[in-house]
Amino acid sequence: MDRKKISSEVWVGVVVLIGILSLFYMSMRIGKFGTLHRQGYEIKVTLDNANGLDPRSPIQIAGVEVGKVSAIKLDGYKALILLRVKDGVKIPVDSKAAVKTQGVLGDKYIEIIPGVGQTYLAGGDRINDIITVPDFGEIFTQVNVAAKNFGDTMSEFKGIIGEQEKISIKKSIDNIQVVSGDFKNLVSANKNNITRIVTNMEAISKDIEAGKGTIGKLVKDDTLYNDAKDVVASLKNISGDIEQGKGTLGKLAKDETLYDEAKDAIGNIKELTDGMKKGEGTLGKLAKDDSLYKETEKAMKKIQKGAEGLQEMTPITILGTIFGTFF
Amino acid sequence: MFRKILRSIFQLPLTFLQELGNISRMFLQVTYLSFRRPFKLDYIFKQMEFIGVRSMLVVVITGTFTGMVLALQSSYGFRKFGAEGLVGAIVALSMTRELGPVLTSLMVTGRAGSSMAAELGTMRVTEQIDALTVMALNPVKYLIVPRVVASFLMLPVLTIISDLLGIVGGYIIGVKLLGINEGAFINKIEKTLDLPDIYNGLVKAAVFGIILSVISCYKGYYTRGGAEGVGRATTEAVVLSSVTILISDYVLTSIMF
Amino acid sequence: MEERAIHIVDLHKSFRDQKVLDGINLEVEKEKITVIIGKSGGGKSVLLKHMIGLLKPDSGEIWVNGTEITKLNDKKLNEVRKTFGMLFQEAALFDSMNVYENVSFPLREHRSMSEKEIERIVEERLKQVGLLAFKEKMPSELSGGMKKRVGLARALVCDPDIILFDEPTSALDPVISLTILDLIKETQSYIKKTYVVISHDILGMFRIADKVAMLSDGKIIEYGTPQEIRRSKHEITQEFLQATQIPGFTGGSHG
Ligand SMILES: Nc1ncnc2c1ncn2[C@@H]1O[C@H](COP(=O)(O)OP(=O)(O)OP(=O)(O)O)[C@@H](O)[C@H]1O
Ligand SMILES: [Mg+2]
Repeated sequence: MDRKKISSEVWVGVVVLIGILSLFYMSMRIGKFGTLHRQGYEIKVTLDNANGLDPRSPIQIAGVEVGKVSAIKLDGYKALILLRVKDGVKIPVDSKAAVKTQGVLGDKYIEIIPGVGQTYLAGGDRINDIITVPDFGEIFTQVNVAAKNFGDTMSEFKGIIGEQEKISIKKSIDNIQVVSGDFKNLVSANKNNITRIVTNMEAISKDIEAGKGTIGKLVKDDTLYNDAKDVVASLKNISGDIEQGKGTLGKLAKDETLYDEAKDAIGNIKELTDGMKKGEGTLGKLAKDDSLYKETEKAMKKIQKGAEGLQEMTPITILGTIFGTFF
Repeated sequence: MFRKILRSIFQLPLTFLQELGNISRMFLQVTYLSFRRPFKLDYIFKQMEFIGVRSMLVVVITGTFTGMVLALQSSYGFRKFGAEGLVGAIVALSMTRELGPVLTSLMVTGRAGSSMAAELGTMRVTEQIDALTVMALNPVKYLIVPRVVASFLMLPVLTIISDLLGIVGGYIIGVKLLGINEGAFINKIEKTLDLPDIYNGLVKAAVFGIILSVISCYKGYYTRGGAEGVGRATTEAVVLSSVTILISDYVLTSIMF
Repeated sequence: MEERAIHIVDLHKSFRDQKVLDGINLEVEKEKITVIIGKSGGGKSVLLKHMIGLLKPDSGEIWVNGTEITKLNDKKLNEVRKTFGMLFQEAALFDSMNVYENVSFPLREHRSMSEKEIERIVEERLKQVGLLAFKEKMPSELSGGMKKRVGLARALVCDPDIILFDEPTSALDPVISLTILDLIKETQSYIKKTYVVISHDILGMFRIADKVAMLSDGKIIEYGTPQEIRRSKHEITQEFLQATQIPGFTGGSHG
């Protein structure tokens, strides 16, 4: 009967108060940007693909959250993203925007890379410079293909240009230098072959030497690989022909320009093979292409970092999966 | 024989539909009467005390331990990913969206729902409900409306307390016991948890409050057959309420989240 | 003014296959005490519950002060019920309330009275049934007879026009039984209301009855003043009266 002294209203009041305080506390802790809707200013970005972005996806500058995506709309056949940026964060007009991924499987967010201009975006303005960053999935497959191609090419080269062939080639060159014969026959018989070989060789060696070597190029360079293979095969043919001594080599020597061209080409190949020999079998050195090598290395590092980053990232996708198993 | 089997086959869905209709009818009646004078505030407060205050302890205990065990289990799983920082987020999301409302409602069903059914059942078999009726007082208004309104109001309150305590329990286990990085733990909660997670959880709890009280009161109100009938009504009330809560939880979740 | 407070016409009621009321015709006179006697399980309580609309008949009419109540909606029925008071066979006290709260409950809900006034009336009623000292007790702390008396006080507290008593003296010792009967008689003659009383206690009932109705086999087989009933040649009535007669003892029949 003692507890009757405190009426039910008081007890209910206590519990309700605890409840309201709990709710208030939790809302305060998580609701940092809950009130952002009306604050800040809005800028626009048009993307080809807004896949993975959500309203409320974060906007970052240098890894610091400066706002949230407020809306995603279809504009023509592109995605118009409205970004609500906190007041006080000034974004130069020449800034760039990129859609990035947090972690390997993680959330998409928009990174703004500030420009250096002194004029700043105002509400309603647009960032026109969009950097497309391939996502990790693409990079993975690209690198994979590239690496495979490199490997194949290398073993092909190695297989084809063995000691035997090198000697043959050398011998052929010696022969060319020494022997002068009926070049016209050679030309008429092998004209197409030679022209193709020469252009191919030139193109290939130039490409390799110029070393445009980005990962994308590399993938494209299936042709390079095939061409190189062609060249070598043709070369083998020729040297075989020469060795068989069809007596046409004299003619070859007579034609100065053709001779020079051939010499150039062969020199290029020699350089290439030398480079290959010196190289310790790394992909980059195969092609004498440092930048390509570095790019690949960078990409690899990125992937590695990404994999390490898994530990720290907050990919909702993981959460989603786990929720799926929980409930 | 054959007709008997046939009849019982037809009888089952018929009983089910009848029950569903009766409960819906009770719900509508309660809803209507809730907005009609006189508002029996003192009755409502008495029930709020019974449902809310007296259920506090059990809710505190279940909430805390649920959060604790959630942290324990999920950290075991996340360690395999090396993602232990997510434990806090998992605990917070699970508590607010799911376990807070559902476990609280189930506990209140067991504690308060059963006694609603038993109390009303006893009042029915001892003619107290008839006594109210002959006094020209609507028993639904006097006995059921306060219980339903009180459940509706108190369940969200209990749930938010359970939510918070669950997270605290998870924090104790995760950070203090398992040594998860405190900053990661809390930051991930703050980053992952959204206000709608909490509010929708509370809406769920309020709906569960209505469900459990309407069903429990319905079962008690229409008790037949003495003490045995009261016992049966109580069991049925708890079972039916729990099952309905879990089913409607699925429906609500798929609508809201 | 109508002479009859309650007029029942050809009332039938069955529970599943069991016929309980099988053509009841009864007139309850205004401002009189009508006692209904009959065998246990004969349907007396069921009949009483029909009068106040707790049970719906299978067929037949029930007129209360000129209103047919079997087809009324809840709202109109409640208007009629407000003129009633009822004592249940098992008292039916609200066990979440103490004695005082139980008795004051109808007053609180139906009359806008000051707390003082309520207290005065309730305490007077409790004094009449001899339970003023127990007003703080919960029903579970009372004996069966005490519950009955609290129920009686609760039925009387609003001064309704018609009061239905379902066995007011069962479970009471003879002395209290007499006081309760006297209380019923006194209040009735004092405030002039219509009382319907069910009892097995034939001797006691003849003390207070203005009219007696004998219920048997779902019908009112006899209706009249106590003297008429006592002289009845009806077989069942005779049997019933004989059974209550104790050899060499005539009880309070001359009271
Ligand atoms: N709600 C009910 N459902 C089914 N049968 C009922 C119900 N109420 C009463 N009965 C049946 O109706 C019959 C009459 O019951 P009632 O309570 O009217 O008897 P009674 O005359 O008041 O007996 P007693 O003097 O012992 O109180 C009984 O056989 C009982 O089984
Ligand atoms: Mg009876």
